[in-house]
Amino acid sequence: MILVCGGLADGVTELVCARLADCGYRYRLLDLAHYPAGYRVVWHWTDAGPAGVIAGPDWTLDLDAITGVYARFLGPEGRMPREGDPEATAALQFEADAGLMALLEDLPCPVVNRIGGGMSNNSKPYQALLLRRAGLKVPATLVTSDPAEARAFQGEHGEVIYKSLSGTRSIVRRLGPDQLARLAFLHHGPAQFQAFVPGRNVRVHTVGDRVFATRIETEAVDYRYAHLDGFDVAMKPATLPAAVEAACLRAARDLDLLFAGIDLKEMPDGEYVCFEVNPCPGFIYYERHTGQPISAALADLLNGTTPAGRLEVRRAMR
Amino acid sequence: MHLLLGHSWDSCCAGVLARLEARGLPARIVPAPLTAPARLVWRLDAAGLASRLNWDDQEAELAGVLVRGTGWLDPAGWDPTDHAYMQAEILAATLAWLAGLPCPVINRPSAALWYRGRASLLTWRTLLRSHGLPVPEQLVTNDPGEARNFGHRLAALGVAGAVYTPLTGETGYLVATDAGWQGLAALQARAPVCLSEPHGAPLPACIIGGQIVWDCDPPPEARALEPRLCRLAADAGLDFLEVVVAPLRRGLAVVRVDAMPMLEHYAPPAQNRILDSLTALLAPATVSYAAPEAVP
Repeated sequence: MILVCGGLADGVTELVCARLADCGYRYRLLDLAHYPAGYRVVWHWTDAGPAGVIAGPDWTLDLDAITGVYARFLGPEGRMPREGDPEATAALQFEADAGLMALLEDLPCPVVNRIGGGMSNNSKPYQALLLRRAGLKVPATLVTSDPAEARAFQGEHGEVIYKSLSGTRSIVRRLGPDQLARLAFLHHGPAQFQAFVPGRNVRVHTVGDRVFATRIETEAVDYRYAHLDGFDVAMKPATLPAAVEAACLRAARDLDLLFAGIDLKEMPDGEYVCFEVNPCPGFIYYERHTGQPISAALADLLNGTTPAGRLEVRRAMR
Repeated sequence: MHLLLGHSWDSCCAGVLARLEARGLPARIVPAPLTAPARLVWRLDAAGLASRLNWDDQEAELAGVLVRGTGWLDPAGWDPTDHAYMQAEILAATLAWLAGLPCPVINRPSAALWYRGRASLLTWRTLLRSHGLPVPEQLVTNDPGEARNFGHRLAALGVAGAVYTPLTGETGYLVATDAGWQGLAALQARAPVCLSEPHGAPLPACIIGGQIVWDCDPPPEARALEPRLCRLAADAGLDFLEVVVAPLRRGLAVVRVDAMPMLEHYAPPAQNRILDSLTALLAPATVSYAAPEAVP
């Protein structure tokens, strides 16, 4: 039995549930919009791993019976409002999530994804170090609180973009005259600048040891927000060079991510540069545009039928 | 220059500072190394990684860093939303900076360690188990009946009550009376609680670069755990780790793990040994330090 932890109102979680049903794989949904309300949990740790149950409105699931977990945690906006002091409510929700996360860390089955693996996404430059170690090229990057260094970096690279350092979502923008005029604000703290990488965006989804690459055609700097700048987006399945594909799999494995969304750019000279790895990819956008069977591969992984899934079981059982 | 990332009121920072200064080594305690007036330059490109930190218009040539904080940004004068964003940005920059420094960094943080802070024992269980280290029984439940059963079962084994410790906190509370169980049930109506079997007198130990400093002379069963405790620290990638062992009904077990050891948990002789070992690890008399893997 597969356990899905997410919000049914979230399109990605909804697609995962629909695909599991379509594949005939049995699952239970722990709806995080409501959790822990309406659920009964009893998780007992002795010398071995966890044992016990999760019970929903009309079902009970033994932890031993779980073959795979898909988890997509929600922010406060995805939760049903609860009565009581907002601060205390938030603290209790945090406590409930912490317990669930600890359980997922310790379940001896494939978990997409364990929390620890995704933490590197909270620091893009830190993640860049790990990606480079996995064999992926990363863009020339400057993190600085020194305006002169930012100007010199732009002088060296010509076109430069800036984006957030942390996991806070930001729109990638070119560094232009308006931003240059505000560089003095860097004294508040460092910002991240990158040499603009020309070429075509490629989004890679690794699912266990399977790879789905999607080429994105657009004139926008940040294709996720192309519509805001009046640009169109077109997507096509793509094939990666074997070395790049292997490096993507290595990066996902190094980060302990059974499922990852990897942002690449294919440069005009055929080289590939990696921007970041998303530990909780909203893959629905790519699957709908291309028909690539990402959710089906994910369903197979969660069902324990793929090689990576079996490897994960052995890893966790050590 | 040795940088002690933390606060002067942290006895660990203060103790290491005093020892470094006694050896004539320049050192500085800095709570927020990447905020003004500091200027950071961190570059990653085809030539590799290079970073530079300037203080007072002078480059800080770092010989070692002791990490006892994460670079807190004073919220004074900030709009709360802007402060939250800037704090996240500075945390992210500080992690990358520490990860790539070509000098000893204790503890050089991983993202999981950096962002999870002081993880509960539950979070450490997988690793503890993989090293064959005994741990107490724990129960996470929002079912008051199951919580009571856990207490009853322990009582039948001669153990009074159960300890409730929030997973996001550090203080444990013994639940042993009817009023206590009723209070716990009220809490369970809102969120699952984590209960552990109570333990006897705790015995803390610091693992510092593969050496163990116990608070006091440990019993033979504790000594027997030493190789496994050292492997635990090494596997976690930590040079400085606190592990607390305590007697349970089935023998000695690890009841707490903390990647941010607190000197106050130790008597003065052990404190001195910890500070001496830490200083020696941070500023070895003979430098034979290998730069981290990420740095070419």
